[in-house]
Amino acid sequence: MRARLSAAVLSALVLWGGGAEAQAPLTAVRVPGAGPITDLAAPAWKQARPVKVAMLPQTVTSPQKPDSAIKELSVRAAHNGGWIAFLIEWRDPTLSNRIVLDNFGDQVAVQLPLDPRGAVPSPMMGNAGGRVNIMQWRAAFQRDLDVGPPTVQDLYPNAWADFYPDEVLGAADARPYTGALGLENPISRGVATPVLDQMAEGWGSMTVKPDQHALGRGVWREGVWRVVITRPMVSDDVNAPRLVPGDRTVAGFAVWEGGNREVGSRKAWAPWLPLAIAR
Amino acid sequence: MAKVHNWQIGREMDYPYEGRRPEKQFAMIFDTNKCIACQTCTVACKTTWTTGRGQEYMYWNNVETKPYGYYPLGWDVTILDKLGVQEMDGPVYRGKTLFDAAPTGEILLGYLPEDIDYAHPNIGEDDSTGLMPQGAHLTLPHLQWMFYLPRICNHCTYPACLSACPRQSIYKRPEDGIVLLDQSRCRGYRECVRGCPYKKVYFNAQTRVSEKCIGCYPAVEGGRQTQCTITCIGKIRIQGFLNAPDKVDEDNPLDYLVHVKKIARPLYPQFGLEPNTYYIPPIHVPAAYLRQMFGWGVEQATDMYRQVAMDRKLLGALTLFGATPEIAQHFRVDGDSVVGYDAKQSEIARVPLKEPVVIREVYDPKHRAFRTNIT
Repeated sequence: MRARLSAAVLSALVLWGGGAEAQAPLTAVRVPGAGPITDLAAPAWKQARPVKVAMLPQTVTSPQKPDSAIKELSVRAAHNGGWIAFLIEWRDPTLSNRIVLDNFGDQVAVQLPLDPRGAVPSPMMGNAGGRVNIMQWRAAFQRDLDVGPPTVQDLYPNAWADFYPDEVLGAADARPYTGALGLENPISRGVATPVLDQMAEGWGSMTVKPDQHALGRGVWREGVWRVVITRPMVSDDVNAPRLVPGDRTVAGFAVWEGGNREVGSRKAWAPWLPLAIAR
Repeated sequence: MAKVHNWQIGREMDYPYEGRRPEKQFAMIFDTNKCIACQTCTVACKTTWTTGRGQEYMYWNNVETKPYGYYPLGWDVTILDKLGVQEMDGPVYRGKTLFDAAPTGEILLGYLPEDIDYAHPNIGEDDSTGLMPQGAHLTLPHLQWMFYLPRICNHCTYPACLSACPRQSIYKRPEDGIVLLDQSRCRGYRECVRGCPYKKVYFNAQTRVSEKCIGCYPAVEGGRQTQCTITCIGKIRIQGFLNAPDKVDEDNPLDYLVHVKKIARPLYPQFGLEPNTYYIPPIHVPAAYLRQMFGWGVEQATDMYRQVAMDRKLLGALTLFGATPEIAQHFRVDGDSVVGYDAKQSEIARVPLKEPVVIREVYDPKHRAFRTNIT
């Protein structure tokens, strides 16, 4: 197992080195205003130059997705001194926001090293001691927030049951029958934001942070997803990067095409690309 | 991949984690010759654990008719087809396990069922292998056959679900070998659903994470057998703990039936998971089918079952099935009875090996009533 992981990390670093050279840098332009940047139609985005990010099939660690569907993202970045935001656009002919056994959701994620000025961690979700902040937007969470979480009948229109425990028991007694929802597993619902603020130190270590600071919004129209992900540049969260104007760091991206059964490590990813935060 | 020893296939095999057996292993034995598919076990499990939203078609315990019943649809024939024809010509299995057969980029060979495959939990019920022609009558062997296969999670020694999970959300308890899925840690990737060849991990579309049989661990921790076991009206099940083959305790009913007598066989041992639910195979089913389902040596098991009346200790172990809600960790035949003991050697069950016959008079003069004898 250890030998397999070591070889995989080596491959990832090789890919990262090659990819970083070929990739155009991303600049987070300074825009006026204050507070979260979640408006997809903000005029500020016209000031930001889009960068084409080539997406690679994840074939480094198992399980793999050699036939990942999304080949390219268009990414812009902006900041207002308090919040940094990424506008990510990609072509996706299928809207995937209904989650059942054989339906997976569209997702996109931005990854930043926790220490923007330190050694660059592995681009594949960091490494032991090289912690990264991963902000993941989910189409299913966006739907939860836009139209409400799906009921059983939303997912299966002909479903019918005599009664459920929560209809005949008090909340405390019914809770054991609610599984992950009762445990407030953050994967179960998009509660306040469609973006999960997470940290990782390598494969399998992704952890949703207790402090959620990332916000965002996504809209799918005519076969194109436009998603904005934003977070405070400085916060009291020790597991978030502290970004200041003038910083030069890196950013990584991953995307999942739910219609192609992409989930977890079955995804497309991009090696680090340079990220400059304008003064 | 680490090398681990799988006694069910008689050889070492590759597994993603190092082999470490639990202190004792949760296990269950089913006597398929006695199951009538009444589904009392299914209902007991359902009403205990899976009545919540998103669990409507989730049956941690199910009973299906073989060969044409499946839940989910085609679960075993699909993975057998993907694995392909394999060599099984002796106690050492020379064919590929699901780990040996892993495609490039996968941890093991598996597949993700369609959602619709779960829509008919009792499909194929009572279907036999063919039609009975006009004038058919009872012959031996039977003209056509079918049997009932009750199933729960196998709490495998080398679980496929555990190995497939990229974030270690599934763990095997060192104290009893029960395999659990952490509802807080799971992220709903469904790799466990894809990986488990028995399809005993289910996706809950309401919670967006996967769920599975928990081996009724709160009961087991208290020395009681699982809900599906203690509610079985046919007394076809026994649940307890199984030791590894190098630590066999002949007085443990499960060790005795699995390791000593070898009358209880694992389900699809060729997959390489060392599953811990065991089946006393049906004696009326062709050996070729049974060999595929329960592995090498299944004919000896059916031959032994036919002779069970001649073997008092074996009869005693089988008589303990359904005799007590508590877990029998030891047993012995005492005169004409079999006695079950708990872990502290306290007697928990005493059952006659031969059920007493009581013949009542047809006419009861005291109550001036005619009575029919029943057994």
